Amino acid sequence: MHTNLVDHAHGLRRAGGAHRHWQALLLGAICLLALLISGHAKAATAAVPAECKALQAKYPQFKGKTFVNAINPHTPGYEALDPNDPSKYVGFDIDLGETIGNCLGFTMTYKPVTFAALLTTLQSGQADIVISDIYATEERAKAADFITYSKVFDGVLVAKGNPKKITGINPSMCGTTAAENTGYVEVPLIQNLSPACKAASKPEAAVQLYDNNANCIQAILSGRADTYVNDVNTVDQAVKAYPDQLEKATAVTLPYSVGIGVPKDKPEFRAAVMAALVAVQKAGIQTDLLKKWSLGAENLETPKLIVSN
Amino acid sequence: MDLFLHYLALPYLLKGIGFTIAVTLLGLAGGLVVGLVLASMQLSRVGPLALFARGHTVIFRGTPLILQLVFAYDALPHIGLKLSAIGAAGLALAANEGPFIAEILRAGVLGVERGQLLAGRALGMTPTVLMHRIIAPQAIRMIVPALGNESVSALKNSSLASVIAVDELTLRSTQLASSTFDFFSIFFASGLMYLLLTGAIAAIQLIAEAALDLDRPASERFARLLPWRRASVAASTPRASVTTLSNDALLERQLPSGPGKDYKPQDRTQRYAELMRQRAAVQISGLSKRYGDQTVLEGFDLTVRAGEVVALLGPSGSGKSTLLRCINHLEQWNSGDIRLDGQRLGVRVDGRPMTQHEIANERASAGVGMVFQHFNLFSHLTACENVAGPLRWVHGMAPADAERRARELLDSVGLAHRADALPRHLSGGQQQRVAIARALAPRPRVLLLDEPTSALDPELVGEVLEVIQRLAIEGGLTMIISTHQLRFADEVADRVVFMSGGAVVEEGPAHEILTHPRHPLTMRFLSVMSADSRLAVAS
Repeated sequence: MHTNLVDHAHGLRRAGGAHRHWQALLLGAICLLALLISGHAKAATAAVPAECKALQAKYPQFKGKTFVNAINPHTPGYEALDPNDPSKYVGFDIDLGETIGNCLGFTMTYKPVTFAALLTTLQSGQADIVISDIYATEERAKAADFITYSKVFDGVLVAKGNPKKITGINPSMCGTTAAENTGYVEVPLIQNLSPACKAASKPEAAVQLYDNNANCIQAILSGRADTYVNDVNTVDQAVKAYPDQLEKATAVTLPYSVGIGVPKDKPEFRAAVMAALVAVQKAGIQTDLLKKWSLGAENLETPKLIVSN
Repeated sequence: MDLFLHYLALPYLLKGIGFTIAVTLLGLAGGLVVGLVLASMQLSRVGPLALFARGHTVIFRGTPLILQLVFAYDALPHIGLKLSAIGAAGLALAANEGPFIAEILRAGVLGVERGQLLAGRALGMTPTVLMHRIIAPQAIRMIVPALGNESVSALKNSSLASVIAVDELTLRSTQLASSTFDFFSIFFASGLMYLLLTGAIAAIQLIAEAALDLDRPASERFARLLPWRRASVAASTPRASVTTLSNDALLERQLPSGPGKDYKPQDRTQRYAELMRQRAAVQISGLSKRYGDQTVLEGFDLTVRAGEVVALLGPSGSGKSTLLRCINHLEQWNSGDIRLDGQRLGVRVDGRPMTQHEIANERASAGVGMVFQHFNLFSHLTACENVAGPLRWVHGMAPADAERRARELLDSVGLAHRADALPRHLSGGQQQRVAIARALAPRPRVLLLDEPTSALDPELVGEVLEVIQRLAIEGGLTMIISTHQLRFADEVADRVVFMSGGAVVEEGPAHEILTHPRHPLTMRFLSVMSADSRLAVAS
């Protein structure tokens, strides 16, 4: 596919009148090909725990299937394009999903959507599962069932030197502007500072909503926002990318867990994924993956269900 | 700069272009289909259809594309219609583009001069032929710039499909920016890719405009494939064939080339008496026509004999034009009837009214030609095609025969040298002569001329009158001419019918009425007009 396209581009430049209709045909063929192939990437496989054989026997209906994983691939370390090979998604969530898939005998394809669209995509049936660093809150449990797998530590990203002296999601944020992604749990937490700000006779904290991490980070770099509160590892990645312009002011603990979202009307699938996750954790694979992506083994959390009816 | 070049050549981004093009093409192709349907629904003037089209336009033009995309992708699955991301994007873009394209199409259709449509109908074209041969070719030329614009807009809009996971250029760029943090190099690279794509559309638009430009030689490859362009048959026709055809008796009868006949009073009286014994070519009885509250014709009666030349005189608004249009059934009348050679117009054998299609066929077979005040030549066709085209499309004449006849007729109106000129390159007098040739081409039995010289500059009136006069002199062709040229009426017409307020005020032998009017209205009109045209009516 790649070779075709590049050849075609060169061809166009030296296109002579006589060959024009061949080129039109080629263009048509490429469009068709582009329609037919799926540009979604696959990640490398990981080890398979012993219990998986029994699970595949218990849930044969998932074996050999291909499931669509909706992700918001703007979070390096968790899910993002491989900078060295953009045809692949890489990250902790990707590895974890592939491992669970291997355990149950299914493969995964990926559907990149905005963060706010993760659960609607699942609800509409356009995706089968969501493993995308999404915090399993009661609110979100109305849209999907969650199987938790990780604790939440947030970092507070600020400009180098922390000019606004922000110390966390607390009244130090009053009068500042935070960049956040639409649908992030941090958004209501920041908005809820309003009474405290009023009590301290300070202006409220403003929130700018963006579509992905990169836009939030750019908002701080361009001086439009003062802070971006998100998963601590994401914040660390940003600081690593722009060490002269950004820093992590502090880390905060949020009372949430990160969860795998599954459709509410598929209890068997939910049970199978949960059982596979338990097996993966027991075999120490999740700890290995956390280490592989430098996320800290302390993140690991025993799976629990968060559902709402 | 290195990074920018790296991303510009990155296969991952280049592949995204394929999806961008796919979504754009789906949206434009679908939008064209939706637009055609919507435009025809609105132009149909059928109440419920037009209302539906309006409703669709209001909804899809009035809501953001991004909502429509999300709706097509996430809401439709709830009613069991689960489209792929590209399918949903194509659907939403098509539904969104549809109303815009419909308006462009409508503007193109409405932009074609009404007069040309009237002329097409008068020549017996059915609505389909009219659309195919007259409206579409001109409308397409007019809408190319707007369609180019819309295509660029659709291409850019395709980037919104990134919100529903269509793996196109924008989605790939944003994801890549997130994973590499090379925000600006990536967006400059993808921006340049979009520029190249929109640049390609602009180039296609320019090529299309050039190919459709009528002022360019027709020898260009693309233009030659178009239906309204005809390779010149006569260019290769030997001159000899024209000589063969000059034996055509009908042509001879219609367009004698001899010197003008000297009208002596006794000749005229004799001719008039002979004519009155001829069969009735046109019989109008009790014709009434109203536009809303305004009555244009009221119980109008007139019989025109075969071979007779009748001049309709009367002040503006007296109903002359309306009468002529009724005779050609371009207007529907309220009561009364019109018979051509005894055949009642507009009524089928079973007594029911005719459809537009049937009326068109009736017009073609009835043999009524019409010449308009404003010429109404088909502006996208050469003089020759204006004459030959209707012969092929309406009368099914072979292209070579049609072309031969067209060139002969143009020759007989003195325009052989302008046969391949477009109407816009002809003077008013030349255009009207082409229009007369066009009206004569199907060999009509009755020729209607609606103020044929009123729109002409004074110095051009003569050349047109001369042609009409030559037609009249030899007789044979029944003509009804509405005119303000009294001298011309006197020289050409056998009979003058003076109209006022939608009825006949006075009628009789031309010279007699013009020189000795009896009715006060006629007298007043003639004295005003003759003061104007310095006609010596008292002679």
